[in-house]
Amino acid sequence: MKLLERLLDRTRGAFAEGKRLHRTKPVFDAAENFFFAPISRAKSAPFVHDPLDIKRLMSMVIIAILPALACAVYFFGLHVLAMVVVSYAAGGIVEVLFAVVRKEEINEGFLVTGMLFPLILPPALPLWMVAVGVMFGVLVGKELFGGTGRNLFNPALVGRVFLALAYPAAMAGNWISPVAEPPGRILQYVSSGAVDAIAGATPLAAAKQGQLAGLQEMFLGNVAGSAGETSALAILLGGILLIMTRVASWRIVVGVLGSFLLMETVLHYTLPGPIPPPMWQLLAGGILFGAFFMATDPVTSPATTGGKWAYAIIIGLATALIRHLTGYVEGVMFAILLGNICAPLLDEVAVAVRLRRLAHES
Amino acid sequence: MSETSAFIIIVAAIFTNNILLSNFLGMCSFLVCSRQIGTALGLGAAVIFVMTCTTVLNYGIYYGVLVKDAPLCSADLTFLAFIIFIAVIAAFVQFVEMFVERFSPKLYYALGIFLPLITVNCAILGAALFMIIRKYSFWQSLGYGFGAGVGWALAILLIAGLRKKMGYSRVPKPFQGVSIAMIITGVMAMTFMGFAGMVSIQ
Repeated sequence: MKLLERLLDRTRGAFAEGKRLHRTKPVFDAAENFFFAPISRAKSAPFVHDPLDIKRLMSMVIIAILPALACAVYFFGLHVLAMVVVSYAAGGIVEVLFAVVRKEEINEGFLVTGMLFPLILPPALPLWMVAVGVMFGVLVGKELFGGTGRNLFNPALVGRVFLALAYPAAMAGNWISPVAEPPGRILQYVSSGAVDAIAGATPLAAAKQGQLAGLQEMFLGNVAGSAGETSALAILLGGILLIMTRVASWRIVVGVLGSFLLMETVLHYTLPGPIPPPMWQLLAGGILFGAFFMATDPVTSPATTGGKWAYAIIIGLATALIRHLTGYVEGVMFAILLGNICAPLLDEVAVAVRLRRLAHES
Repeated sequence: MSETSAFIIIVAAIFTNNILLSNFLGMCSFLVCSRQIGTALGLGAAVIFVMTCTTVLNYGIYYGVLVKDAPLCSADLTFLAFIIFIAVIAAFVQFVEMFVERFSPKLYYALGIFLPLITVNCAILGAALFMIIRKYSFWQSLGYGFGAGVGWALAILLIAGLRKKMGYSRVPKPFQGVSIAMIITGVMAMTFMGFAGMVSIQ
């Protein structure tokens, strides 16, 4: 650590104003801030003293994702780790370019996007698709709007939807059937070329053919699916940490899951044909992962309490409807993006209602 | 003639076949008048009203006069459909404008430029033409006109909210204004693709 500090101190001069490497200063700042607290002081408002700054907030999310990532590597193999590396590298290029042009620091927000993105993809997806998806997501979903904290849509989901519409075949295949007995697939590298031999159907896709995966297997993660969504247990562990530290809003999680269960119950009894029961639906697919990690993004969800409830209910209902009434097997990503689109309007309505009530009282 | 019920057509026209987000009709006023939520609401309401009425009017004229062996004229005049539809829409908007100005000046000033703008909103003409292509019955046409109007109003309200939130964004210079609005529209269209196939009307 001492050595690292001395190295950073010695190289700082090379990035100073007017020096040759000044243009790449954001890279230096990012490297420094990742290891140490920044040496700069806040020069402009707001001067808030709060232990939970954006860096801690994002670090907390990353810690919360780790169980899900560990499960993904255990059940699907080392290719998942390669996807994470590629996602960080390719998205990082876009991020660094914009930071250099804007002369800003690289924000920690990208660490979350770069980690979430590979976890919502099929675990054997070709690496170049991961790169294309994350670059599209970071560019269109975030950087064009001004970077972290100013984006309108969840960048990981923009990338995911883009891939799903552009490469439907690759995004609908490339599922790996998991291995539960230790050591799982942790020593294997299953790329898209080798996936045919051990391909597995996701629980939702299999259910359309009338085969139901066991509840216990879905809870522990011994089913095929997107990399991060496989184990409900790991998602719950991380999700509860997020709620306890108040990084994620419990209202959104409860609203999404509650309205989803309600709609599933209604559809279970009204739609023709066998539809698996609501609790099974909750454990299948990406609804848990989406509710805990994607829908609760504080930037793209509403800020008002009323807006949060409405937003969560829209996501829950839309997920259930898309699952059963359209050609898509899973609807969480479309539903959360729809929630993102509605979020500002819901905030406006909530504020207007509140103002009217206040005017009424006084 | 398709068998879909009018109610299903309303739902489909709002979500799965949104006239703006899947057919990209009516983009001009959508991009220009979506900076404020208030104006978006006014324009959206006006579009719903005009679209519903003109679709019904055009239905009556097309099947009452223009088609071959129609009750009022036996010659095949369908080649006139385009120009007649445009004339009907323009005349109807003019009529509504005069009516509103006479009986509710307050509403007239609130709507301001939006009423005349609707005349050149291609979504209105698009709705009338879809009604012909898809061979809708009277009730289906009524449902489609209303649903397409609501879908258009919903889309402009949503983008108005998003653009208001973008007051905090720092968009790169080349993308400011209409270009970033078109990118938002693209993401919205990608999202609405998720509803594709839920209920289908061609």
